[in-house]
Amino acid sequence: MENAAIFGWALLWILFWGALGGVVTPRIYGRKDLEISQASFGGAVIGAALGPFSLLPLWVATPKITNRLIGIAIAIVVGIFIAAFALADPDNLCVANGGFVISQLANGIVIGIIYGLMALGLTLIFSILGVVSFAHGEFYMIGGMVTYFISAKWLPGVSPLVAILASCIVTFAIGYVFERIFLRPMGSGEIERPTEYAILVTFGLAFFLQYFTQALTSAVPVKAQRFFPFPRAELPADSGALLRMTPGNVTIFDAISIPNPRFTAAVLALIMLAALLWFLYRTWVGKALRAVSQDRQAAAVTGINPNSMNTLAFSMGAMLAGLSGASLVQVFSWLPQVGIPAAARSFVIIVLGGMGSLPGAFLGGLIVGLVEAAGTGCIPDATRAAAYIPAYGMVILTLVLLLKPTGLFGREL
Amino acid sequence: MLNLTANNIFKNFGGLEVLKDVSFTVEGPELIGLIGPNGAGKTTLTNILDGALKPSSGTVYMNGERIDTRPPYGVARAGLGRTFQVTRAFRRMTVLENLLIPAMAMRATARQRDFEEKAQEVLEFLTIAHLRNEYARALSGGQQKLLELGRLLMLDPQMIILDEPFAGVHPRLMEVIYRYITETNAEGKAFIIISHDMDTIFTLSRRLLVLNYGDLIADGDPEVVREDPLVKAAYLGEDEE
Amino acid sequence: MKPTVLYRVAGAIAVVILLVIPLASSELGGLGPLVLSSYFMHLAITAFFYAILASSWSLLAGYAGQFSFGHMAFMAIGGYTSGLIGKFIRFTTAPSELCTDIPLLGNWWLVVLNIRRVGTIDESCLDMAKTETLPAGTLIVFPPVWASIAMGLVMGAIFGLLVGWLVLRLRSTYLALFTIGFSEIMRASISAEIPITEGQSGLELVPLFPGGLLGFTSTSKIPPYYAMLLLFLVAMAMMTWLAGSRFGLFIRAIREDEEAAAALGVNIVRYKVLVFVITSTLAAAAGALQFHYIGIITPNTLIILQMSLVIAMAVIGGLENIYTASVGAIVITFVLELLRTNITIGPLHVDMTLWRLVFFGLLLMLTLRFQRNGLLFPILERINRGGVAAETVSIRAAPTDEEEEGEETNPPSSSEENATVEKEAESNDVESDR
Repeated sequence: MENAAIFGWALLWILFWGALGGVVTPRIYGRKDLEISQASFGGAVIGAALGPFSLLPLWVATPKITNRLIGIAIAIVVGIFIAAFALADPDNLCVANGGFVISQLANGIVIGIIYGLMALGLTLIFSILGVVSFAHGEFYMIGGMVTYFISAKWLPGVSPLVAILASCIVTFAIGYVFERIFLRPMGSGEIERPTEYAILVTFGLAFFLQYFTQALTSAVPVKAQRFFPFPRAELPADSGALLRMTPGNVTIFDAISIPNPRFTAAVLALIMLAALLWFLYRTWVGKALRAVSQDRQAAAVTGINPNSMNTLAFSMGAMLAGLSGASLVQVFSWLPQVGIPAAARSFVIIVLGGMGSLPGAFLGGLIVGLVEAAGTGCIPDATRAAAYIPAYGMVILTLVLLLKPTGLFGREL
Repeated sequence: MLNLTANNIFKNFGGLEVLKDVSFTVEGPELIGLIGPNGAGKTTLTNILDGALKPSSGTVYMNGERIDTRPPYGVARAGLGRTFQVTRAFRRMTVLENLLIPAMAMRATARQRDFEEKAQEVLEFLTIAHLRNEYARALSGGQQKLLELGRLLMLDPQMIILDEPFAGVHPRLMEVIYRYITETNAEGKAFIIISHDMDTIFTLSRRLLVLNYGDLIADGDPEVVREDPLVKAAYLGEDEE
Repeated sequence: MKPTVLYRVAGAIAVVILLVIPLASSELGGLGPLVLSSYFMHLAITAFFYAILASSWSLLAGYAGQFSFGHMAFMAIGGYTSGLIGKFIRFTTAPSELCTDIPLLGNWWLVVLNIRRVGTIDESCLDMAKTETLPAGTLIVFPPVWASIAMGLVMGAIFGLLVGWLVLRLRSTYLALFTIGFSEIMRASISAEIPITEGQSGLELVPLFPGGLLGFTSTSKIPPYYAMLLLFLVAMAMMTWLAGSRFGLFIRAIREDEEAAAALGVNIVRYKVLVFVITSTLAAAAGALQFHYIGIITPNTLIILQMSLVIAMAVIGGLENIYTASVGAIVITFVLELLRTNITIGPLHVDMTLWRLVFFGLLLMLTLRFQRNGLLFPILERINRGGVAAETVSIRAAPTDEEEEGEETNPPSSSEENATVEKEAESNDVESDR
């Protein structure tokens, strides 16, 4: 990076005014007896956006901090961030090569869809049971493992769809059994301080599943073959300027290049997402689930059994994680430990999107996918970047928890 | 001499006005009933006096010191104690430990054994002395309520706010609570009692505050308040018919 | 015997046994037929290390109810601070000119070594200074180990203060997520800043007693054993005192009901921050000592699985008591080592190094589900509270006040089982009401 200093100063500037805005704004709003629930977060982003030029008018005029205002401020912050980056490192592929940027964006969205699907499982569990499953990453890992072992070891040649289906069944079953034995007693008041219990017991499950898988499969990384290779095709037929497909890759407009495994994984995720939406909004059971997430007691009065909804939600959440793993085992190499970063990513996504919010989880997934794509593609010092990648999400997580614990779409705490 | 003054308290929850310009003064060991229909803002007012909530505007003074800017523990140390609508005993601590907490919190250098004698007296007064070393969770709901009242005696505040002390309590225990209020009041502590139990509140209190959807619509002698047309219209009318 | 007397006797016996164990080590020739290998001594040191971590985490989570997953991060902060001071700080009697020199009293200088680029074999600035700028006869002194460990404690306390203050508003799940985030950020930064921390290849630390101690060499297990034992005993004594004082009373009240505690005058902000500071300082102390003993620290000490090991030790022993947590940690450290032996039954070869952790995870879950307070805690409860039900009944049975008769509890009952059973039922009722 040539002018790293420019970028560093820009970052410092954003952080300084953001912190100042976050701390001072609620006091000013409080002194004027105005609504302060948004003031801390709003002040922080508005301060980060234009520094003193936006903070002073804000403090003088004290307008109502609307979501729209916050949205504009966030857009400005992102803009400044990108501009500073471009100035600091004009030769970077991310700045100089438009095709690369679009490709990275497309890949970020594609992977973000799958992250979103996994986080959707976690948020589904949270919205019904009110617990965060710390074993979510292990369901993801098991989904991938089952798919790999069926398609590559035990039944080679069988359709990958069978393997994916099997992984769904396995993760659903583990989730079902676990919920029945360990989480069901929470509802009956048999267990004191259920929230803490849930944290620890899902943590124990993660520990158990991880070592169990490791004991069964050993710690050698595995990777599945492409599930559905593309046919070879070119459009128009001779040049391939619009669309060029090889078994392992698809190139659109000669610019956007997406590897086949990612593409099929995203398509699988979208199909599953559609199925999930259909289930939640069109079937009786799905409606019952949503009813329970909104008001347990009222739902129980109408004859829904909240306990069985708990079981269903947990098993389905586990299955969604398993499915994400199943579709990604052809993308990444797979180890018993892959669940940990994946789970961490899901935590980031659901906190960012708002705990318990389904659209929030999906949008959060896309954002995290994009940020990661930008992080891997754009940062010049590759080894350092790789080491820091897990931290980016965690920085987002801690900031959201401190500034706006409800996330993008969360309900009030 | 105790003096608690609430000046022009307003409270909004995201646009919803829960309290509108509530002002009143408590002087000396009064025994005040605070009534009003559901959603009138009684608990919100309690939370503001106690420091758990900050008013959107307005001030609360206690003996000349401003207390609405203090955190709850600061208010407790200034001399205002309260109970909660839902009993909140420290369930996995013994009854004795429950009582020691407020006593220790009030004095920085005290040791536990200094208060054990006083705790014993309080427990005997409340008729739960035999449960001294039991965990609070082993107590019945009513006994937990007594425990909460006992904690307030150990805190030794000048003013006590009781949120629904009679709700769901066995008649026998009700007697104990009734005695607790009158005797403690006679010792010089002021009371604000929130209750739905009209008969008890009319016989017990010597002054009534009536809240109706955030407005303080009446303040005065129970007999006078009972006849107040505003109160009748808003609250009592529907209740007594 | 009264429980307190029992505990004092048991505690004294345990301390004496722990103090004389090294006499039986192979280094000292063993005690008669009992010869403890140096591997056993190593295990004992590690067991104390985990015992400090598990018991301080139990103070944080079991007493104060703050389920933090960042305990290992504080431990690593202790280790890395001490290690980095050893790597970058020197005292000299003349300015090096090539490094960052800070004048101290007299003619002493504090020299901060420059950060070397990765992959180069450049000499450090001080090595160059030795041949170029430093006059002959200049003394170069390493910072003493105890001082760098003390700095590790200070850093642990500072970070504990910071995190404790940041998480004041966060409860349960949100606190867990935040502390996981904190821990992961620490891990990633340590892995990434290779020029400073050496990243994954690990930061080397000087031995606890670089010049040996009392005739023991620097690689002997005996001085580290006593050092770690001393820290363990000091930590336990401190936490015992804290848990029995107003501090313990207040943090347990905060665990039970924060708002109610505040309404009764407990300064919840102060005690919540304080419990973070105290427990993270203890974790940092354990980390600094342990990694000087081991000799190297890597970012892998921060991984979540290490944290789950400490959690599991505390939970299986008994989360709500520092003693059961620490005994749990010591027992589990040894049991896990004992289970390393692989089993071969006919064609079936079981790699116990992996399977023992599977069973361990299962034990953790089952303990949580069926013995919420750990496997040791119920024993303690029995000793402590065995007389309570009888006492309750006996006081009830002798009414002193006529008003007692009409109470709504059970009629005076001669059998104590009866009383407890009914109490249990009552408490369940209350629970389901909520």
